[in-house]
Amino acid sequence: MSTLMSQSAAVIKMNIQSLPRRLWMSLAMVFASAVVVAILLAFLAMAKGFDATMKSAGSEDIAFFMRTGSAAELNSSASREQVNLIENAPGIARDEQGPMVSPELYVIVDGVKKSTQNEANIPLRGLDQRGVAMRKGFTLVAGRMFNPGTDELIVGAGILREFDGFELGQEIRFGKYKWKVVGVFSTGGNVFESELWADAKVIQNLYNRGSSYQSIRARMTSPDSLPLIAEYLKNEPRLTHEVQAESSYFAEQGKSLGYMAMFGWVISSIMALGALAGALNTMYTSVSDRAMEIATLRAIGFSHFSAFIGTMAEAMTLAAIGSIVGSLAAFIFFDGLSASTLGGSFTQVVFSFQLSPDLFIKGISMALIIGFISGFFPAWRAARVPVIVAFQTAR
Amino acid sequence: MKDFYLIYKNLTRKKMRLFLTTFAIFIAFLIFGAIMSLRSALNAGVEMSADNRLVVVHKTSFTNPLPYAYVNKVKAIEGVKDVTHANWFGGYYKEPRNQVVSFAVDPQSYMTVYPELVVEPEQLSRWYKNQTGILVGERIAIANNWKVGDRIPLSSNIFSQKTGGQTWEFEIDGIFKGNEEKIDTSYVLIHYKYFNETQSWGGDSIGWLILTTLDASLNEQVAKVIDSEFANSNNETDTSTEQAFNKAFIDQIGNIGLIIFGVVFMAFFTILIVVGNTMVLAIRERTNEIAVLKTLGFASSRIFKMVLVESCLLAFLGGLLGIGGAFIIIKGASEQMARFLPNLVLGSDVLLQALAYMLVLGLITGIAPAISALRLNIVTAFSRG
Amino acid sequence: MTSENLFELNNVAKRFTKGKETISIFEDLNMHIKTGDFMAIMGPSGSGKTTLLNLLGGVDQPTTGEITFDGQRIDNLSESQLAKWRANNIGFIFQFYNLMPMLNAAKNVELPLLLTNLSSSQRKAQVETALKLVGLSDRAKHMPSEMSGGQQQRVAIARAIVSDPKFLLCDEPTGDLDRQTADEILEMLQLLNKEFGKTIVMVTHDPSAAKFATHTVHLNKGKFVKAEELLL
Repeated sequence: MSTLMSQSAAVIKMNIQSLPRRLWMSLAMVFASAVVVAILLAFLAMAKGFDATMKSAGSEDIAFFMRTGSAAELNSSASREQVNLIENAPGIARDEQGPMVSPELYVIVDGVKKSTQNEANIPLRGLDQRGVAMRKGFTLVAGRMFNPGTDELIVGAGILREFDGFELGQEIRFGKYKWKVVGVFSTGGNVFESELWADAKVIQNLYNRGSSYQSIRARMTSPDSLPLIAEYLKNEPRLTHEVQAESSYFAEQGKSLGYMAMFGWVISSIMALGALAGALNTMYTSVSDRAMEIATLRAIGFSHFSAFIGTMAEAMTLAAIGSIVGSLAAFIFFDGLSASTLGGSFTQVVFSFQLSPDLFIKGISMALIIGFISGFFPAWRAARVPVIVAFQTAR
Repeated sequence: MKDFYLIYKNLTRKKMRLFLTTFAIFIAFLIFGAIMSLRSALNAGVEMSADNRLVVVHKTSFTNPLPYAYVNKVKAIEGVKDVTHANWFGGYYKEPRNQVVSFAVDPQSYMTVYPELVVEPEQLSRWYKNQTGILVGERIAIANNWKVGDRIPLSSNIFSQKTGGQTWEFEIDGIFKGNEEKIDTSYVLIHYKYFNETQSWGGDSIGWLILTTLDASLNEQVAKVIDSEFANSNNETDTSTEQAFNKAFIDQIGNIGLIIFGVVFMAFFTILIVVGNTMVLAIRERTNEIAVLKTLGFASSRIFKMVLVESCLLAFLGGLLGIGGAFIIIKGASEQMARFLPNLVLGSDVLLQALAYMLVLGLITGIAPAISALRLNIVTAFSRG
Repeated sequence: MTSENLFELNNVAKRFTKGKETISIFEDLNMHIKTGDFMAIMGPSGSGKTTLLNLLGGVDQPTTGEITFDGQRIDNLSESQLAKWRANNIGFIFQFYNLMPMLNAAKNVELPLLLTNLSSSQRKAQVETALKLVGLSDRAKHMPSEMSGGQQQRVAIARAIVSDPKFLLCDEPTGDLDRQTADEILEMLQLLNKEFGKTIVMVTHDPSAAKFATHTVHLNKGKFVKAEELLL
């Protein structure tokens, strides 16, 4: 058994050392594997980043109310009367000021996207201090909070990254109305950072909402309160709303870029087939290039198995190198890349590409599969090279 | 060409290598065909817009409503030919997942502004008269198995009925087709009047206006006049050509064009490297034979051409198969994707582009080995072997 | 009307420069080959046999001097002119046959005819004639890998004569064959010379090959020498 090992080790060494003879073909195989891995990782990182941005926004203990049938906050509505009714629902936490409920508004405004220099829609959320407190991880990174009743607003860090003209101290004009940016906030990198926040009452005024709101958030005494609240809503005829945990709402929204991940798998799998064809070509050439050496070794007494292993090792090594190059390229070019795209309410969601160890493992696995298949069949052929080849003069 | 036999025999020398190389090229053009068709479909909305049609939306966001009064105000503006309006209904059929693109419109003026929609006359006049009637596009009718005369429920994820609930009942009065293949027919039209009177929010507002100008050259001027008419009001407008509007919308999704271009480019480049390498290797193996041909009297230029023809044949072989495969995929996908991408088809523009790239691929992969064959010196070739 | 001397070499020199070194193969070489000759050129390796062969075949050019073929200078022709000249005038026979492995015998023989304007049926007829002459009509559809060394060389001869060239140039034609097969090949060459009037120059190691030639010359270090001088 140990001779088998030492034989194989010797053959592997010889194969790798002979690589420079087949330099360009080997490089082609490495390159093809690298491209497949890089593309796969890019799409997966895109989907993961978007998903993370969405998911991390939702809390398990915040109940989120929207009018039945609304696809997103934008479509929802809630009258003052309905808000009052919800404040009396069971399972809602209370503090000195009363029930911890935040009715909010969600209107659409325009901003100039840095990348396209074109206008795109962003949300302007109307809320009060209670609502701010419900966003876990909220911090002001610059400036200060807006004063209630004024035309001041604060901008999310994501907006600052992707859009022009929202810097601290700037005056902005939406339609007829002027606003002043007094602060920049962060919520840990999730979707809330793609929003502008201002006082709810001011927005009601300017947008002629009277005393109506759009969505309602409430802190629950515990996540288990949810079914109680749902029951309450069902039994109250004046309420046309539905409730879910904020985390569920965002989880759904996060899936909307899921098609990107699917697309990434499909495209890179198809390209993997192309890369496989190239890899097989490289390996078959390698075997015929070394036919004389293989046969000579066999004449000396080396086993079939060592020839097989030698070729397999070469293929897997090339594919592995390719996957490392591809992973590195993906990491350098894509990790942390900021992008924004259309979210649920036709507003822009700013997110970052996110690479993680599990994604790298997926990429490397794909490359190793390519290496394995492209090595297997030529290795089989290598194992069957007849000894007589050693005695034929090369022409 | 007499040399064709020789070229053919050279190509088919090593069957496995021929298969693998052809397969790699096949994959590249499969990706090219499928993805470029996708891109074409995304842009088709942009291309298909009439060049004298303008869209008037709320300046801040197209999701904000405009007052109904604007319709007549815009009609009065010089240079404007016909005006219509539409509201986004946010429709779904039976389940929220089953989204139906639906607009509440003024039937007669809508059909005037969109002459590319074709309906049988009796169906059309029936719909005009029936306020609870719905006109459905051919594509979506097929997707949902709707026939003229059916009664269908259509729900809204934005609006509710005054009488409660979010579902309206409609009768399908007619089916509309496009007068060209790529025209979108995956949406439905309902009466604005009926919708406005029954929805709970009240008020007379419209989503946006669509109008035609007397001539495309007047577009810019008319747009300016409209926007200045409503500047400094509570509802300022933004008027642009339909093309610009559609393009801006797609832009919002992100740099889709760049992503697509990037993927196709990488696929091609990879294949180029793989195939190019194979060609160089194949020619190198034939050094001896090329020397013999030259000795027999074959001119170097003739051999040069033969190598290029060989690499081009290879490119076209794999390429045509790839485009064929893409065609099949697109055909299958277009039925599935009818809802989001109504004009998914592998058009002649994609085909022509692909053919051009096949030629380029053949030339690029063949040029280096062809030159080395051209320059091959008989004496050194024989002394090597 | 073919001149009496098919080939004339006058003051031919061939030198190779490798960096700073200049290696001289021939200096002031003079020879002529009469029409209808069957000449054997012998000599040890390094004597310049191969170089002389290349010069005669228009595959290489002399550094200085003149080479005339049938009254026409060939040392000053361009590469494409030489290609045409070779197609019209010379048939080559190599030591290792050099057949195209993916073509059958008939297709191999047909190759030189692709350089002419003959129609497909005309080409077919000439191929059949050539194969008949070398006695391989029944092997027309066989691949080189299915034939013995001697058979392959005969196909190569058929290829060399199919467009009826005046001149055959052979490089160690029997180098890879056993004695009996070698003699068969040499007999065939002799036949082509005596009955069909082809001028043949054959470079060879094989002493018994010289018996088939009309006359033999010896090359040593780039100069023609008498046979006896080689023993010194």
